[in-house]
Amino acid sequence: MSVRSQLLKGILEGCILAIISKESVYGYELAMKLQGQGIDVSEGSIYPILLRLQKDKLIQGEMRKSPSGPNRKYYTLTAKGYESLASFKKNWNSLKVPVDQLLTEEEEVE
Amino acid sequence: MNSNILIAENNEKRKLLDDDNKKLYEDMLLYIRLSYGKSQQESEEILMELLDHLLILQREGKDTAELFGEDPKRYADQIIEELPKTLTKKRMMLIFMGLFYFLGVSTFFNGFFHSILYYGFGKLEGSETYYLGTLTVISLVSIGIVFVVVYYVIRYLKWVCFKRINKVVDFGLTAVLFGIIPFSTFLALFYLVPDMGTTITVPVYSLMIIGGIFFALGTLLFKKS
Repeated sequence: MSVRSQLLKGILEGCILAIISKESVYGYELAMKLQGQGIDVSEGSIYPILLRLQKDKLIQGEMRKSPSGPNRKYYTLTAKGYESLASFKKNWNSLKVPVDQLLTEEEEVE
Repeated sequence: MNSNILIAENNEKRKLLDDDNKKLYEDMLLYIRLSYGKSQQESEEILMELLDHLLILQREGKDTAELFGEDPKRYADQIIEELPKTLTKKRMMLIFMGLFYFLGVSTFFNGFFHSILYYGFGKLEGSETYYLGTLTVISLVSIGIVFVVVYYVIRYLKWVCFKRINKVVDFGLTAVLFGIIPFSTFLALFYLVPDMGTTITVPVYSLMIIGGIFFALGTLLFKKS
């Protein structure tokens, strides 16, 4: 697995939880929202993650009638999902600043 | 929404796919459905989500590689890996259901054809004598063979998915692997197992009744699961 995809894997989970925490979405909608944020992943890669998050009981899916068109599976966060999102945010924030700092220092040395 | 409704809906929606997408999607569908031991409900839900997504991509004229990537088989494996396993109790019930259906159908037809030959054409005997020991051995080994065959049929069907295999080659392989080999094993079994144990003699028509009972048991399990 490339460094990029390894890095992305954990981060993607956090981003998906963040999107679902704001509103319940269905698969395609989620893919569009990620792309809208500039997170460039193939659209299909969200489905194995959604399944894993469901298995871990962080999110739950429910088949619902959408206002226009077919029945769709909408995902919502569970209580456990909110906890996991909170700890992702904490971890991310504690990493973001030092990593950014480190990378800018390197650029300056070069 | 239960899995049967999802399957029916899937059958309808799939007609909207164009030829290339349909071939790819149906491989994906077969491959995922054949992953035994995985929850059927969850499998059908994810298959419906993938179909909906694919239909949107098709409508927008986008490439299917967006969804399944460059290696669809690997993608399917990733999906299967994340699907939850079915409850073991339900699985056991399905296995017994299959077993009862198999015993039911084979015993019924045995009795049915025997009866036609005997009462209709005066061929064979009006009753059949069984050695209980022999019968037990043959039944157990047959059940074993059926499990092995079913296991390899599934393996074979999964192997064929995502491949463009020649129809003639496919037919030949299937006939030899799942027709000739198991059938010869059954025949060998009937000839090679010696007579042992006490005997019972039953009229041939009663085999149809016994078959019916097995079939009813299978149906009972089917309704429960």
